[in-house]
Amino acid sequence: MYANFDLHLPKDLSAALAILGDAGDDAKVMPLAGGTNLIVDIRARSLTPAALVGIGDISHLRGIDVTNGQVVMGGKTTVSDILRSPELTDRASSLVDSARVFGGQMVRNTATVAGNICYASPAADLVPPLLVLDAEVTLERREGERTLPLSEFYLDYKRTARRPDELLTRITWPARSSDSVDLFYKLARRKGDAITIAGIAVALGVADGKCTRARIALGAVAPIVMRALEAERMLEGETLTPELIEAAAHQAAQAASPVDDLRASGKYRRHCVQVLTSRLLTQAWRRLS
Amino acid sequence: MSETIAGSRRGANVEFRQVGMALPRIDAPGKSHGKTRYAGDHVMPNMLHAKVLRSPLASARLRRIDVSKARELPGVACVLTREELSGRLAPTDIAGQTGRKRLATDQPILVNDRVRYQGEPMALVAAETVVIAERALELIEFDLEPLPGVYDPFDALKPGAPIVQGTDNVVAKYKVRKGDTEAGFAAADVIIENTYCTQFIEHAFLEPEVGLAWVDENEVINIRVSTQVIEHFRFIADAVGVPHNKVRILGSLVGGGFGGKEDVTVEIYLALLAKATNRPVRLCYTREDSFFGHGKRHPFTLTHRTGFTRQGKITAWKVDMTADAGGYVFLSPYVLLYATVAAPGPYRVDNLHVDARAVATNNMFTSAFRGFGAAQACIAHEQQMDEAAKTLGIDRLELRRRNFLRTGDLIATGVPIESAVWSDECMTRAWEALGERTPDDGPIKIGRGVAAYQQSYGRITWLHDTSEAWVGIEMDGTVVVRSGVTDIGAGQVSALAQIAAELLGVHLTDVAVYNSDSSTTPLAGTTTATRALYMTGNAVRLAAEAVRERLLRRAAQEFEVAHGKVDMADNRVFVADHPERSMALKDLVAVCASEGVHRSELVMFRAPFTGEIDPETGQGRVHPDYTYGAQAVEVAVDTGTGEVTVLKSVGAHDVGLAINPDAVAGQIEGGAAQGQGYALSEELRYEQGQLTSTSFSEYLIPTAMDVPEYKAIILESRSGVGPFGAKGIGEPALTPVAPAIANAVADAIGVRIFDLPITPEKVVNALQRLGN
Repeated sequence: MYANFDLHLPKDLSAALAILGDAGDDAKVMPLAGGTNLIVDIRARSLTPAALVGIGDISHLRGIDVTNGQVVMGGKTTVSDILRSPELTDRASSLVDSARVFGGQMVRNTATVAGNICYASPAADLVPPLLVLDAEVTLERREGERTLPLSEFYLDYKRTARRPDELLTRITWPARSSDSVDLFYKLARRKGDAITIAGIAVALGVADGKCTRARIALGAVAPIVMRALEAERMLEGETLTPELIEAAAHQAAQAASPVDDLRASGKYRRHCVQVLTSRLLTQAWRRLS
Repeated sequence: MSETIAGSRRGANVEFRQVGMALPRIDAPGKSHGKTRYAGDHVMPNMLHAKVLRSPLASARLRRIDVSKARELPGVACVLTREELSGRLAPTDIAGQTGRKRLATDQPILVNDRVRYQGEPMALVAAETVVIAERALELIEFDLEPLPGVYDPFDALKPGAPIVQGTDNVVAKYKVRKGDTEAGFAAADVIIENTYCTQFIEHAFLEPEVGLAWVDENEVINIRVSTQVIEHFRFIADAVGVPHNKVRILGSLVGGGFGGKEDVTVEIYLALLAKATNRPVRLCYTREDSFFGHGKRHPFTLTHRTGFTRQGKITAWKVDMTADAGGYVFLSPYVLLYATVAAPGPYRVDNLHVDARAVATNNMFTSAFRGFGAAQACIAHEQQMDEAAKTLGIDRLELRRRNFLRTGDLIATGVPIESAVWSDECMTRAWEALGERTPDDGPIKIGRGVAAYQQSYGRITWLHDTSEAWVGIEMDGTVVVRSGVTDIGAGQVSALAQIAAELLGVHLTDVAVYNSDSSTTPLAGTTTATRALYMTGNAVRLAAEAVRERLLRRAAQEFEVAHGKVDMADNRVFVADHPERSMALKDLVAVCASEGVHRSELVMFRAPFTGEIDPETGQGRVHPDYTYGAQAVEVAVDTGTGEVTVLKSVGAHDVGLAINPDAVAGQIEGGAAQGQGYALSEELRYEQGQLTSTSFSEYLIPTAMDVPEYKAIILESRSGVGPFGAKGIGEPALTPVAPAIANAVADAIGVRIFDLPITPEKVVNALQRLGN
């Protein structure tokens, strides 16, 4: 492998933002976190950055806190950190489940949450859970920061709202209580270290026997990880019955726009969206009632 | 986890003290401590780095290749193309065979005119660094004129198809005509006919191809390389144009072979570049290079027509098989022969008709892979047996029992099987070891499957296979074994040490083995064809027995007892009936040395030599012997998503005798994993000859998350032709696994998927077809 690029190793966030700020809109200057996608792409020459800004030394960007009813996760938190976090097992079981089946052990040890979000693969395993948790992302640049819902972050296939000079520094979501359940299932050609064929997350909230909040997120079945909004609306305010769940799952499958690729056909992916959405909703509702 | 079932040890001519024990292998400490130096760990001062330029097209004519810019790049030492090689050929046949004229199957070392598969080498570069070599590749300009290609063996057989090899693309043909198939089918109550398909498979060894070559002061081209076959030195010498004694191959411990390092890989490129530059040259394939750098497992299409009586007795069997040989012949004829011999499996078939052909296409060339055609045959015959059992309404195991070969029965090629056939014992034990059946759980359906096989060990008998080993005892009573055998990770070398330790009354740690050097260790043949233990194990046994005999004779004199009354163990020699009358082995050795008793022996072991089988009937001897066994599995199938989970997997094999049961269990467990990938997830996909599954993110071998705890059951009939009655287990361990899984999936969902791999999507599609 050979590739020519400058490597910056800033010691703190402001130094990193300064380098990115100086580059302005030059997308050839890229942040380097875990590198589990970036290095692979550089090796395959599908990306040819002029410079990489390594943020490995900026330790305060890594960690998970629960304060004031909010879960706050630093962008540089690794997938393995998620698995080691006692705070998350109860508060974000879908995210923990997705972390467990994310890549292989070596990838989990170095891949970061911000990297998984910003790379914007439709098959990103952490994104469906974060979407159903109503996560927000905070983007920082030299001039200041902004926060937006993750659901507004994705614009199109591998296109996001992040400007080239911004770093995704925080992910936050409201910590929920026991009247809420979130689940994730990854379907792939094998169980370990595989690229997702369909990654489905659901979250349900309940009060007085009715569904108060429904979230369904679908990975690897559209150009972006998507919410099945229509299907969610069918469930909210209702008592979930097998028929209603089946109808919502059908609606979710219709909303997906999967492609044929080496891993699976679009037809099969759509079938699995229906099967898995139905299963996860049934399971979640059963846990709540 | 493994369980060993020892067979009868009656008839043993020695009391085993080392053989049969699960001792730590002598290669284990180096590997576990990271001290083992593999071929890629060797470097030399002033060394150059090589790279290979490969054709991006699968079928083309090389109109022009211009390397002038690459040669001008600072740091580039050498660029070779067809200009320099003037049509030199790289041999692609089996190394070291003597019993038969070589097939005319050679491939130009570098593309001369025609490109026949994607990845065919067009130029070699040697440069000061890997990076410079890579840049040089990019500076090579070439014009390839695309030619019409053919990418399916059945298309390649049609009139007017583009010709890839020979005159009709058929690179090999075999047939069997045994008994009277027409009468057999007439006598059948039920006839079952099905077609089974298998896929291209990648060896996926841990260590990609790598080597280091230098020309020494005697003009000998030395090549230290990761290979299964050091005896390619002759082919390499022929290809480069030097005498055979001017090429030396030094093997290393190999990080996985599985047949993928049976053909020449990097050796000829290294030899040419080292000779051209007079500097050491290292060539280390990336994983991407490796996907293009060695032949794959043949995809087969097998149509089986089988007649049964209502009681389940086979009356006739007709098999038609077509293998995709890819762009060059390589070992296709031999693979096809193995598939032909194994076509009816471990069953007695009096009326057998087989037609087999290997067909050239513009796909990647195919060659050796663990199982070597017999694995593909097993995938078909074992699924066919299950389909027959279903139609006949006979239990699957019972149907097999009613047809298993027995010792003395004639196999497909009309010769009697002389060793034990413990197919039933193996199958029954494997099945019982599955234990209680896991219950279905909603959409999760449980299924079970079994598969039995017949797999040869030892080379084709008309190749006239031999193996040499030297065994000696040192003045301090330690033992030295010298043999050219390569160790590809299965414990080949350690087994030799264990045999020598047994016979010379020492411990395994007292034995040093020097191996895998074509110029200083006696030539032992290849580590392929499940032959290393059989051939070299026997050579070591014979050599050690000769030394033992001399030592014991001298000891009998010392003890003043009759010859035959003395034994040796634990580094001592003693009177068998009076073990208190003993002496240290080293003292005996000292006496022998002072008297000039020969303390070493060089032995050649010869396999049975035969002529070829009858080309019209396929009748005659093909192999020294066969291993029999079975795999039983339990799977869970998610009928919603089609995902298949292997819950239990048990291999039970009659290995004759396990020299080291842990090493045998390792083979069985590894075979179970490799076979599982074959059944469920692995597939090299080519579209118009272009590889589309180009990395391990598309080519999916099972991970630790995908495999259950495998179980190995070792049976020992002591009936094999290997040392102490051993049979072979390297290839057999893999052979029954994929069909057992296919049968379990069919059992779970009530419908069969006839083409491997059984992907989740194929399961869902099959269930939907069943539902309609």
